[in-house]
Amino acid sequence: MAQPLSTAIDTAFKSNIVPDQEYLLQGSILDTSVEHLLHRLRGLCDNVDSGPEQFQDHEMCFTIRTTPTPLSLRVRRALDHTDMPWQLRYIGQPEYGDAKRPTIIRSSIDIGCSASVVEFLTELGCRMDFEYLARGYMFRKGRMKITVAKIVKTNPNKSQDSMQLISESYLVELSVLAPRGQDAIAEDMRSFAEQLRPLVNLDKVDYKRLAHGPP
Amino acid sequence: MAYSVNVAIEAPIENQIQEIAYDGTEVYQQPLSMSESLSKLAAKIDFGKGQDEKEEKVVDKTEEDAKDPAAYQSSLWPWDSVRNKLKNAFTEVCVLSDVLAIAKEKRYLVLDPVPQEPPETKAMVTVYARKKALGGAATVLLTGAERLRTSQSEAARNRAASDFHIELLALRKNWRLKKVGNSIIGDVSYRTAGSKFASSGMFEVTKAEEEPSSGWSPPQSPSAVAPPPKTPSALRVTLPSELQGVAYIEVHCRKDDEALFSTTVTSSTLNTAGPMPDMHWQKKLEAAQNVLFCKELFNQLAKEAVQLPGPIPHMVVGNQIVASILPGIQLIIGLCHSTATKNKKSGPPQQKKSDHDHVLEHSIHQLLREVHHKNTHHPFPHPSSGPLGPSKQRCLAGPSAVDRHELMEMSKSKTLLEQIIEQTQHFTMRRRTEYVLDTIAKEVRDPLIISHWNSINSPTKACVKVNIMTHGYDTICRTLLIIHVGKKSLKCICRDGSVMNMSYEIQELRDLLICQIQQHQITAVQALAKCMGWQLLSNNTHLGVGEVQQMGNASSCMLASPMGDRLIAVRCEPQAGVHVSIAHSPRKDFYPGQLVKDRKWENLGGGFKEVRWDKMEGKNFLNKMELLMASLTSSS
Repeated sequence: MAQPLSTAIDTAFKSNIVPDQEYLLQGSILDTSVEHLLHRLRGLCDNVDSGPEQFQDHEMCFTIRTTPTPLSLRVRRALDHTDMPWQLRYIGQPEYGDAKRPTIIRSSIDIGCSASVVEFLTELGCRMDFEYLARGYMFRKGRMKITVAKIVKTNPNKSQDSMQLISESYLVELSVLAPRGQDAIAEDMRSFAEQLRPLVNLDKVDYKRLAHGPP
Repeated sequence: MAYSVNVAIEAPIENQIQEIAYDGTEVYQQPLSMSESLSKLAAKIDFGKGQDEKEEKVVDKTEEDAKDPAAYQSSLWPWDSVRNKLKNAFTEVCVLSDVLAIAKEKRYLVLDPVPQEPPETKAMVTVYARKKALGGAATVLLTGAERLRTSQSEAARNRAASDFHIELLALRKNWRLKKVGNSIIGDVSYRTAGSKFASSGMFEVTKAEEEPSSGWSPPQSPSAVAPPPKTPSALRVTLPSELQGVAYIEVHCRKDDEALFSTTVTSSTLNTAGPMPDMHWQKKLEAAQNVLFCKELFNQLAKEAVQLPGPIPHMVVGNQIVASILPGIQLIIGLCHSTATKNKKSGPPQQKKSDHDHVLEHSIHQLLREVHHKNTHHPFPHPSSGPLGPSKQRCLAGPSAVDRHELMEMSKSKTLLEQIIEQTQHFTMRRRTEYVLDTIAKEVRDPLIISHWNSINSPTKACVKVNIMTHGYDTICRTLLIIHVGKKSLKCICRDGSVMNMSYEIQELRDLLICQIQQHQITAVQALAKCMGWQLLSNNTHLGVGEVQQMGNASSCMLASPMGDRLIAVRCEPQAGVHVSIAHSPRKDFYPGQLVKDRKWENLGGGFKEVRWDKMEGKNFLNKMELLMASLTSSS
């Protein structure tokens, strides 16, 4: 306990106990059927006796020009829990792997911070790339976190009531933060995702392919 | 008849078909002629039919008679046999009429009724016959009954099967079940509710087969009343032996001096009725779940008791945990588990069960439930992309730059045993405080001591407001004390704002209260004097003169009448009570002496005389003081 802080963190990283890997599955569901999905999640997940947990987050993505690829950082805050700290998060490149790998794995490092983080990042030379609001529900099943959220465009000029929806569907994400090398959880995620079929098809979504694919 | 119509009847033209040729032509029979058909019909008449053998002889005779004519006429005449028969008949009728005529005369022949021989009635035969008939009827009835019974049992068997499924459905609604192979396995453990107890709570569900109702039970005396009919459940749950029976956690406090008794009492098993073997499965499972819960609780407490460092180490012996909470007082937590077999051999009834503290038992249960709840109810992260797990405090720790010490404090948590010890300490303190307040209120009638317990309290903190006042004078003066009852200490906030911290030794509180009572009396007298127009000359709460008090100090005050000619001195001692003295000024009688020669010195007063307080009129101290002041107040 008496060792310096930097050494402690190094030891933690070396012994592989820092949960810096995010296992992720994504999917979407139409607004009309989201009720069914919520019902099913209520049945499957832990402790929904108090009802599903709602959230409303605001996310801003900042980029800074570095070589060879620009680095992006995400700042997120809870609009409905203003007393909670903001979150600064780095998300690495997703690894899709082969067909045998059940989930996307990407490195994820997050830290709580205060509201002045935006100013700080701007001072560093970051530029805001995009921002959006996410509104929806959160569920928990063991270590797994399931979010069912609606993505809303922000409009700084107008009040929050007149928000523009991006699409007529909800984004469904199943994620676990775990230390490197815990692939067993990925199998659990796959089997859980199986239980949500055919309401929502949670899968490894490759955005680059989506962007270049047929419209 | 004039209009009668002739109806002609004739045989159909169609004759009987004799044969049909191969080419289809039908060959008809020729119709019989009139005579032919007559003779054919006559031949059909059988005149001898219906006659007895007796007439046979006649016939024989007539045949003999008819032989000769028949010999020559038979070939000639087809009606011969008819004629013979008619002739015979005629002869017989003639003979009969002759006989009748003779009999009518009653001279030669008398007709007597033939005596009917009574049918032989054999008793045994009739009995046998009736028996046989009755037996036949009985078999019919029995077979009918048997058929009904089989159909009913068939229905019952079908119902039992459906009952099993219905009950299984009901079981599934409340308990976790899964199918393993051909058997149905259930789980009564609290694992899904956050328990981390390793012991499993598996049970097996089987279909209850028909069993002889009194197969295992001891033979009943013939006079025994039949047990009330029960509808046996179609479902049976089989529990492992360690989950059978009834268990509970026994909690009680014990003073050191009764240690010898209670050890023996608590170590024996409980005397509650064991579960009946044919208990309903719901009750059985609930009991098993309770057993499991109690075991987990005891296990956890025992683990903590061993690990917890303390000035006096806690002891875990068998199914008991002994923890000392205050000097001389121990908390004993015992796991009582009785199975049906143990229950039978349980000894004499235990009379010290009243020691068991239900409130503490409930608190202990509640503490473990809280742990379970915390294990499953982690806070959700906000914003939603955050990691699951850290509490809100931990989330805020980073941005608010919490230092190492605060982080360490954050991670500290009290064990169940520590919490229950604290609760017990508080419970003991509260009981002691109650006792002191009650006994003082009982001992001291003047002034009145009223205590109000705050209804809002926590398991380790309570608050009582003590009001000291004199009956009838409560508007003039009242002394308020607030006593905070903590875990091992008391904090008393007095009327003047001073805070007294006291230890668990309850004598301290008692002393404080007695001092407060005396101070109340002095304060009240001063307030009363103000009302009466008397003047307060001096006031001393801690008087330095007089004999030394056992505890505290005497307090006093000096009052002067409105005219200034009378003085009252009051001295309150915590133990000895109140002394009141009065003095006159100027003195009524003045005698010049060697030192005091001048009359002007008479205004000095002096020469206090003590009032015999117990002889004074008045209900209480203030009332007596009021009367005394009133009597000493001169109008001029």
